[in-house]
Amino acid sequence: MAEPTTSGRPFDAEALPHLDALYRVALRLTGDPTQAEDLVQDTMLKAYRAWRQYRPGTNAKGWLLTILRNTFINDYRRRKLEPVATDLEAIEPHAIYRAVEDVDPEGAFFSKIVDEKVLEAIDALPPDFREVLVLSDMEGLRYGEIAEALKVPVGTVKSRLFRARRLLQASLYQYAVETGIIPPREAPHE
Amino acid sequence: MSDSLDCREAIARLQDYLKQELTPELAGELRAHLEHCRPCHGYARFEQSFLEMLEARAGHCGCPDELRARVLRELRIEMERG
Repeated sequence: MAEPTTSGRPFDAEALPHLDALYRVALRLTGDPTQAEDLVQDTMLKAYRAWRQYRPGTNAKGWLLTILRNTFINDYRRRKLEPVATDLEAIEPHAIYRAVEDVDPEGAFFSKIVDEKVLEAIDALPPDFREVLVLSDMEGLRYGEIAEALKVPVGTVKSRLFRARRLLQASLYQYAVETGIIPPREAPHE
Repeated sequence: MSDSLDCREAIARLQDYLKQELTPELAGELRAHLEHCRPCHGYARFEQSFLEMLEARAGHCGCPDELRARVLRELRIEMERG
């Protein structure tokens, strides 16, 4: 492909390796494969046009995901009321660990749940929590990169991530109990 | 290294530790705590396995070939436009 820019490596060499990540995040943000494809294409074209603004040596994946996320917010996100905040303060950090520590202390049940169910549970998270979890724990962006992409303080990224994980663990635990992957926690009386 | 963290502090910092976002000094303190404290060690392993599971799921899904081809096509058109 032609060499489109002046800023170090050509666009295609830096950007194309991240198509998988862009598509994965687009899928989680839109919840729809067709929209996800359009979002990825729009993102790549915008990124190509803005390539001169990319600072060589910084994380190209983070830069591309920022463009993808902004494009999603501006052009794709359907206007809807944010879901009512769950009472997350009540969730203890170890809540799920405590529930499984006798039967599955290493959390092996997580790996026994099929991809489809894990992704469904992620998609069911409140959007603000979902995007942080996807960017951090699935795509490996650092707190600072996520904060920059979302234009929120690092502390906000951390607290959303903490809550996202608690919610997701609780939801996967519930699924694992319902499907018999792990036995339910014994009731205190018989 | 002496154990300078209590369990409450260790748990509060565990998320940052597992994401390698602590300073080397704090990471060292937390590591020392985890080596000595069985309950915290067990909890840290559990969290680690949760994170590894999420990372692995990401690897199972990638950009469809059709979309890749479409993006390349669109980029080429854009480049020819100049």
